[in-house]
Amino acid sequence: MFSRSFKYRRRRGLYCLTGDCPNCLVTVDGEPAVRACVTPARAGQRVARRPGWPSPDSDIVGGIRLLKPLLPVGFYYKTFIRPKWVWRMVEPAIRRLAGVGPVPKDLPPGSRERRSHHPDVLVIGGGVAGLAAALTAAESGGSVLLVDEGRLGDKVAPGPTRSAIDRLADQARAHPEITILEVATAVGLYEGPLVPVNAPDALHLVFAGRVVVATGAVELHAVFPGADLPGVWLGRGAARMAGSHGMAPGRVAVFAGETDESLHHLETIRASGVTVAAALVPSGLADRVPEGVRTIVSGRVTSADGRRRVVAATVESPSGRERIACDTVILSLGLVPRDSLLRQSQGSEAIGAGDVVLAGADLETSMASGRSAGAGTPGGRREVSLPPPCRGGFVCPCEDVELGDLDLAWAEGYQSTELLKRYSTVTMGPCQGALCHAHLRSFVKARGGDELRTGATTARPPARPVKLEDIAAGARYPLEYHTGLHERHLELGGIMEWAGAWKRPESYGDPLAEYWAVRKDVSIMDVGTLGKYRVTGPDATEFLERLYPCHVATIAPGKSRYAVLLNEAGYLFDDGMICALGAGDYYLTLTSGGADAAESWLREWAETWGLEVHIINQTTTLGAINVAGPAARRLLSRLSTDPLEAAAFPYAQHRRITVAGVSCLAMRVGFTGELSYELHHPRLAGRALWDALLEAGRDLGIRPHGLAALRLLRLEKAHIIVNQDTDFDSTPAKLGLDWAVKLDKPFFVGKPALQRIATLERQKGLLQFTFPGPDTPAEGAQLLGADGTHLGYLTSARFSPVLGHGVALGWVRKHNGEWPGTIVAHDGGDRRFQGTVTTGAFYDSSGARLRA
Amino acid sequence: MPLMIPCPNCGPRPYGEFWCSGELPDGGHGGAASNLEADYARVWLKRNVAGPQPERWFHHAGCRRWLAIRRNTLSNVVDGND
Repeated sequence: MFSRSFKYRRRRGLYCLTGDCPNCLVTVDGEPAVRACVTPARAGQRVARRPGWPSPDSDIVGGIRLLKPLLPVGFYYKTFIRPKWVWRMVEPAIRRLAGVGPVPKDLPPGSRERRSHHPDVLVIGGGVAGLAAALTAAESGGSVLLVDEGRLGDKVAPGPTRSAIDRLADQARAHPEITILEVATAVGLYEGPLVPVNAPDALHLVFAGRVVVATGAVELHAVFPGADLPGVWLGRGAARMAGSHGMAPGRVAVFAGETDESLHHLETIRASGVTVAAALVPSGLADRVPEGVRTIVSGRVTSADGRRRVVAATVESPSGRERIACDTVILSLGLVPRDSLLRQSQGSEAIGAGDVVLAGADLETSMASGRSAGAGTPGGRREVSLPPPCRGGFVCPCEDVELGDLDLAWAEGYQSTELLKRYSTVTMGPCQGALCHAHLRSFVKARGGDELRTGATTARPPARPVKLEDIAAGARYPLEYHTGLHERHLELGGIMEWAGAWKRPESYGDPLAEYWAVRKDVSIMDVGTLGKYRVTGPDATEFLERLYPCHVATIAPGKSRYAVLLNEAGYLFDDGMICALGAGDYYLTLTSGGADAAESWLREWAETWGLEVHIINQTTTLGAINVAGPAARRLLSRLSTDPLEAAAFPYAQHRRITVAGVSCLAMRVGFTGELSYELHHPRLAGRALWDALLEAGRDLGIRPHGLAALRLLRLEKAHIIVNQDTDFDSTPAKLGLDWAVKLDKPFFVGKPALQRIATLERQKGLLQFTFPGPDTPAEGAQLLGADGTHLGYLTSARFSPVLGHGVALGWVRKHNGEWPGTIVAHDGGDRRFQGTVTTGAFYDSSGARLRA
Repeated sequence: MPLMIPCPNCGPRPYGEFWCSGELPDGGHGGAASNLEADYARVWLKRNVAGPQPERWFHHAGCRRWLAIRRNTLSNVVDGND
């Protein structure tokens, strides 16, 4: 026994050894559902079977099939529907029973790469046809990528086919235009064509000029009672075991062969020491069965008998029915194209070659088919012959669907391949129908299904099992951005959170203390994530005048101005400061999240207008530390001899000063509402500056603050955070930022839109609210009017420690032509909060503190 | 065909290296409209062409410059590069 089946935990042995069946799934180094037959072994690998109880060998759950009458097809649609709580109770138990092994929870996160390839031709499958196609395509000068899910030739037992593969593979490896990826599985065929190829080193995204599918054929899966017992093999699997690995697949075998190649398998298997008790062949092959083997002409296996494994096979032939003792049944009954990739292609994106179109073709035909496909002509017309309808047993070994299940589903009215698939999950297992698809079609056809109902089910990616982790390869790129102070945050116990592409400290463990440090003493924050741009050149002023809705030319050198950025629809998408450094020389800051997109915005307009400006993105080359709090000036004066008092360096201005020996562009800004200096400095000097500030402020009660404190600080000032408080249709007027827009300017981006919108009555606005506290509604709480009408929702809400009540921002609409004066915030359950609409900053509305 | 964008600075590169800013309106990007209604149409009323369409792309993972191409939205064939 090699594994247990998915649903009933039936004992399963090795079966196909071509990567198709679910029987060889094992857990390798903690990773479940690895196909053993296409995974090369390595020294030190830990290979385990799916756990069972009390052991994998005698799994008590294997008896679950005795409950079969209680587990009809469509079980989930019929059971546990009502009352609803029943499902919640049984679901955890069912989840534990089903599946192929526990998902590892403690493996380190993968760091797999994603790579792109752009070959002229991609060949999927390194068999005879695939190699011939690759060589032909490469001869005509194109670049070729050949992928195979195993090592070339590995799955094929020694014989004429294997020799041909080895010879062609040597040629291909020597060809400069051919790149070969082994143990690389084509997962699907997408528009483009794009083929993701999953390999151990990376997920390869192959954008090919054209695609040749040469995935071959799989031997017809056997369906009869007992066909899934350990000891029943497909011919290629048994031959691979005997010929390539030198292990006899059993001791005494009943062999059934219908194809030419099956006679090679018979030979290989006998050479490994297996005694063939009987060979069942059609009359055409009878005289080619080796001397000394009992031959039964036109016989077939009707059942494999045994409880834990095969002990006998029942055979029917024109001469009668007999039971033959054996421990192995080997079946080579025909070939079914392994065509799920081809069935995914819509139209002419991929062509087939070899067995996948000409199942059962001989070596020469396959070679010719491959050459033809390599040159760009389909390697043959697909003709699928369906097997005779089965008479019992497991149709789908992946999902444990029996013939009886299909019969019941048919009786219940699911009378087409697609409906049976959805209802019974047949063809939906790991092999995606590679084994059972033909039997399903044959089943419907035998019951009188017409062309439409008998049709091939739609194939969808993945064509082969693939881990979610592998699909996500490269999703971690671009790597997370770190400021130059990242290690400092970690050393200080910073709890790091994602903020756009950046990792930033949410807090250093005590956000409330950090908040009070800003309000009462002094605190520093790493704001190096801000978008930072230098814009210079003869046309720099003109450029910014057209780009920003505020006046730019009136910003005197040394002064700064808060400014918003609008798109052409008049909607706000970013904000920040404009600092005039000198004539035609500006320094811009923009939000952390939008910094990357802002660069494309600046460049797009600079190029569109053909203005002479230079745009330098300094986001990652400069660091920035905001020094905020009533004692900020006292702290800086200990580290700097430059004038810092309000008369020499007032609010909303900037100066170049030296702090602790580091030359900084210092900006007096007001986001936190306290006296603050934002120190923009060379990134590499950041740590020294940070350390010096913390050291010099020790007796002032300094501590760094994180995002949690910042969000509360700015909310007390009713400052918005773009993308948290703004919506996709936020005009400055809706946000109460009319003052940042000068419609008397001749032009700025978004001006025509704002003029047009100004002719419409405004129905929506971002208002601010106070709540009595101490509880405040959650962000996202719905806002109702006094009469219960829904008016909007909260975007930001916090309890303000300094004010002693709740403060919030939220979107509301006009109701009966009026803006509301009071609202009720409802955040789920019974929690309702009475709020009052206010204007102006909640805290220090005169701005005296930040101008200090 | 796979979508490769011919970048005048970097050569043909896969589209994942670019951001697309969508179809170009009549008069090109940033073109002035004669009145407010025409400006509305320029900003909002996309033609959504099924066929060759002028577009602007930003090569964010390359030269960080904008380029204009004409891309057939049905076949992804880029047959113009201004």
